[in-house]
Amino acid sequence: MDEEQVVKFVETYLKKKGFKQAELAFHDEVQHNSNANSVDIHSDPDLSLLLLSLSQSEDTPARYHEEYRKLRSWTHSSLDLYKPELLRVLYPVFVHCYMDLVAKGHIQEARTFFNSFREDHETVHSRDLQKLEGVLSPSHLEEMEFAHTLRQSKVNLKICQYSNELMMQYLRNTKSTMMLGIVNEHINFQVSPGQPSSISDDAEVVTLIGNSQDAANQINKKEIHWGLLEDSLEERLEKAGGLLSDSEKTEGDAKEGDLDETKVNILKRSVEGGKQGASVKKLKKDKAASATAKVVRPETNTSSIAPRVKSELPLPVIPTEVEQSILEDLRNRVQLSSAALPSVSFYTFINTHNGLNCSSISQDGSLVAGGFSDSSLKVWDMAKLGQQSGNSVLQGENDTAPSEHVLGPNGVKRSYTLFQGHLGPVYSATFSPLGDFILSSSADTTIRLWSTKLNANIVCYKGHNYPVWDVQFSPLGHYFASASHDRTARIWSMDRIHPLRIMAGHLSDVDCVQWHANCNYIATGSSDKTVRLWDVQSGECVRIFIGHRSMILSLAMSPDGRYMASADEDGTIMMWDLSSGRCVSPLMGHNSCVWTLAFSCEGSLLASGSADCTVKIWDVTTSTKVTRTEEIKTGSANRLRSLKTLPTKSTPVYSLRFSRRNLLFAAGVLSKCK
Amino acid sequence: MSIVPKETIEVIAQSIGINNLSEDAALSLAPDVEYRMREVMQEAIKCMRHSKRTILTSDDVDAALNLRNVEPIYGFASGGPLQFKRAIGHRDLFYIDDKDVDFKDVIEAPLPKAPLDTSVVCHWLAIEGVQPAIPENAPLEVIAPPSDGKNSEQKDKLPVDIKLPVKHVLSRELQLYFDKITELTLRRSDSALFKEALVSLATDSGLHPLVPYFTCFIADEVACGLNDYKLLFALMRVVWSLLQNPHIHIEPYLHQLMPSVVTCLVAKRLGNRFADNHWELRDFTASLVASICKRFGHIYGSLQTRLTKTLLNALLDPKRSLTQHYGAIQGLAALGPNVVRLLVLPNLEPYLRVLEPEMLLEKQRNEMKRYEAWRVYGALLRAAGKCIYDRLKIFPPLPSPPAHAVWRDNRKIVTCSNKRKAGTEHLEQPPPKRLATDGPVDVVSTDLSPSHMPGEAITPAPSNDSNVGPSTSSAHMPNSNDLDRKVERGKGDHRSMKTSAILNQVWKDDLKSGHLVASLFELFGQGILSFIPAPEMSLFL
Repeated sequence: MDEEQVVKFVETYLKKKGFKQAELAFHDEVQHNSNANSVDIHSDPDLSLLLLSLSQSEDTPARYHEEYRKLRSWTHSSLDLYKPELLRVLYPVFVHCYMDLVAKGHIQEARTFFNSFREDHETVHSRDLQKLEGVLSPSHLEEMEFAHTLRQSKVNLKICQYSNELMMQYLRNTKSTMMLGIVNEHINFQVSPGQPSSISDDAEVVTLIGNSQDAANQINKKEIHWGLLEDSLEERLEKAGGLLSDSEKTEGDAKEGDLDETKVNILKRSVEGGKQGASVKKLKKDKAASATAKVVRPETNTSSIAPRVKSELPLPVIPTEVEQSILEDLRNRVQLSSAALPSVSFYTFINTHNGLNCSSISQDGSLVAGGFSDSSLKVWDMAKLGQQSGNSVLQGENDTAPSEHVLGPNGVKRSYTLFQGHLGPVYSATFSPLGDFILSSSADTTIRLWSTKLNANIVCYKGHNYPVWDVQFSPLGHYFASASHDRTARIWSMDRIHPLRIMAGHLSDVDCVQWHANCNYIATGSSDKTVRLWDVQSGECVRIFIGHRSMILSLAMSPDGRYMASADEDGTIMMWDLSSGRCVSPLMGHNSCVWTLAFSCEGSLLASGSADCTVKIWDVTTSTKVTRTEEIKTGSANRLRSLKTLPTKSTPVYSLRFSRRNLLFAAGVLSKCK
Repeated sequence: MSIVPKETIEVIAQSIGINNLSEDAALSLAPDVEYRMREVMQEAIKCMRHSKRTILTSDDVDAALNLRNVEPIYGFASGGPLQFKRAIGHRDLFYIDDKDVDFKDVIEAPLPKAPLDTSVVCHWLAIEGVQPAIPENAPLEVIAPPSDGKNSEQKDKLPVDIKLPVKHVLSRELQLYFDKITELTLRRSDSALFKEALVSLATDSGLHPLVPYFTCFIADEVACGLNDYKLLFALMRVVWSLLQNPHIHIEPYLHQLMPSVVTCLVAKRLGNRFADNHWELRDFTASLVASICKRFGHIYGSLQTRLTKTLLNALLDPKRSLTQHYGAIQGLAALGPNVVRLLVLPNLEPYLRVLEPEMLLEKQRNEMKRYEAWRVYGALLRAAGKCIYDRLKIFPPLPSPPAHAVWRDNRKIVTCSNKRKAGTEHLEQPPPKRLATDGPVDVVSTDLSPSHMPGEAITPAPSNDSNVGPSTSSAHMPNSNDLDRKVERGKGDHRSMKTSAILNQVWKDDLKSGHLVASLFELFGQGILSFIPAPEMSLFL
């Protein structure tokens, strides 16, 4: 191969790649300089061959197709031991082949290429493929963020040394220069010595956006304090419980007779929520003092294992009488476990005419809110609802308590309180912990605060630029977090109309948001298939959880602050360990969108409600224990045990909520289309 | 290249007033249109998810367009999912069926009902993890309970763990087979093919999955086909065949089958025509019932008692028609002579008193009724006769009729029957010589099982009577006595007590039989005598 030829090759190569600067520089180099580096070329026939093939003018789209096809069949016929690893290489190669073809303007060929091989990746990457399928011109590549980031970044792939060598050897031997180019350009092999890893579906396979993986690893090293707040009510309960049990000992003996009876009533009473009369309340107090002190003891012990942290936010002060009632609830809590499943009270919305977008249940289950696509927010007082039906039987028309019912425009009695003010579909609603406020978020980019006492809109929070998908009150009230289509999550306080913090970093819509039990963190789930944990005080992202394969729809934090559950469109639920940022175990079982998740109050059970018209109850304790002991083998299939599936009558479950006494409330819309 | 053909672009261009869109422009616009469309749909899917739906509606598309700051498309608001229809002649062209509405109709039509307002209802989805069986919960709705009775049961005990219904899959062949058989039974039960079918029912091994369907079919057809004699007979034949089939496990379905069978036995009317020989059907069914009892009586202890109770009630109720009585008698008779002896014979005398006027020409003018009465009388006579025959047959026959027998005026008949029976008698009754050898074996076997003895002593089984019966023949006596003595020697003194008890019992039985024959003779007159074997006759007369 003579020198001039080499120069020509290099020139054509540079021209082809469009490296004008380099080309000019090369020209200069050639003219001015002796050919110092051409010696290498002479001595390495392989390289010269490579160059030869690179410069070949027949750079037709057919070569992409052909070479990919060959690579694919080679991979599929490779040794079983290395196959999983090699198969992982195929997807990025496929995607980049397609994008290269598009970028070069071979639209027709790109389409045929895409369609002939898409089935291979359909199972794992269907969402991405759907997105990419629409890319049909070079300008789209620039415009579409997903494609853009893909082309900008490199994919990290873990691969064992031998597989790597095998692949490279194959590519060189077959002179699959196109593939070789793509592999070099877009894949960053993290070659590890030794045996190939057998984990077929770890996080890296699912996401292609490489730099986020690096960043995620970096971010996930940050320290987080997942412990519970010090001086929380639960902690106080222990002292209080101790005190009470001492002081009430004398009183308790007298009451022992009706203990059993009251125990039975616990459930009933917590359903009735606000309904219970003064006499019942008294009874509850009596009983709470003497009976449940023992029951609560073990529970408080477990929660005290969690380390205590100081709050980084100034927290609202809870009024003492509210505190008292919460303490009572805590004492009356039913202990749930895999053996003792919760009772589920189901609120079914009927006649919604396909208009209900969201529902929310207050802490005690007495209030139910529904956000509708006609911009209205409706709140039902379940306590009154029960009364009303009782009254209507007894009194009929002569209802003497007009204040209890809201009169509609025509004087027609409505069973609910109507809140109007939004200008677009209401996508989310949340009750304050005490049930005196409701927040609603809407497509009109605003969040509104409503008072359930005054039945009026109090504040309108403007800040987001796009529809607000989700809003959540903090566990202690006053603060709330919102998630929006504008890819940010924001922290607000009730008394300010501007956000306190803006959390930016998600690559797509932020679809859901959830507070950590200690109020120092929020978690956000996004359409970019990741969940992030943010520090409320600093506004920094402290964890990225990668592993979901589709849009995240709901999040839940365990009451002990250690775990988080997230659920996606496909029906997969994942349990995450916050401190390590790793997935504890994926929960398979739902076959449609999981709209809602809820941990039981002592954290032993997880409930999930789905569009497949079921409520599932999962055992959390067993799985987390298992993983703690076998932490080395993360990724092995230690699935959470599904304890119970409760099918509803063609009613997708929109929201779930454990009351403080561990009664599970669920809400959903009766859907007729079946 | 793009899924949007350039023709579409051209059409759109024309619709907004651009007539001379060049082909190149259309071609390069097409991919972009597709890209934008996909983008909008992706956003629309997001909106759909946030509205917690799984079906995309036009509202979602509008919301997505809003997100992109594009004017939404008006005029496609929909309450529910749109119904697309396929254009005829095109594989992948769909349209929304939009009906023409006449304004006049709309104006003149009464105001539609206001839609019901949204409300919330509350129920228990689960109580401590168990789903209560209330109408608000799904499973009860899905699993329709098979009958009302079971439904109420389920409601009684509230928390029911509901099992999913077992799907019963019948192969196509079996379905065809079933259809064919039912068709034959219903319409062509006199054809030769039906006989083949019965044989097949009685022998084929793969029919078990069909049994519930057959029982159901039989029950249904009997219930509504009581007027169709031919059908009923065919159905009973099917039952018979099914019972014969050794591969079928029919026990679980007996409770469904029995009512139909008993109906065919004691129904007031079977068939509506005069010519219908319902007597034959009743006879056939009686044998059917008897065979069922024989086969499953030991599995279902209550089967025979319940059956006999039903039949006896039918018999003893004077309000029932004679046809029913006939069926009852036949059924009871088919169950065996013991049943007749215990249940029919005690009631014989009062019953005959009721029956008698019906049979007499002077008292009953209706010839049909009289005929029926005679049929019943005949059945009774046969039953009683069979019973007494069975009773007497168990005694060992005498070596020869004693010469000193007292003959009365009915001698002629007796001798006739004697002659007639003589031939058959020898075959049926074991000759004395053989008995002498058989006897000891039996006696020994009973004596050797002491645990069995006490029971035997109190109620000796009739079958054993013959071997130890001392009174019947003097020739036989020493034989058995000898044996007894031998056994006594081996077993001990208490034996003698027991054997003597047995002997006493047997003697009593014999006496009873004697009385029975006498009373039967009183009731039936000479008719009964034909059933009494000749040798015994000589003893009693």
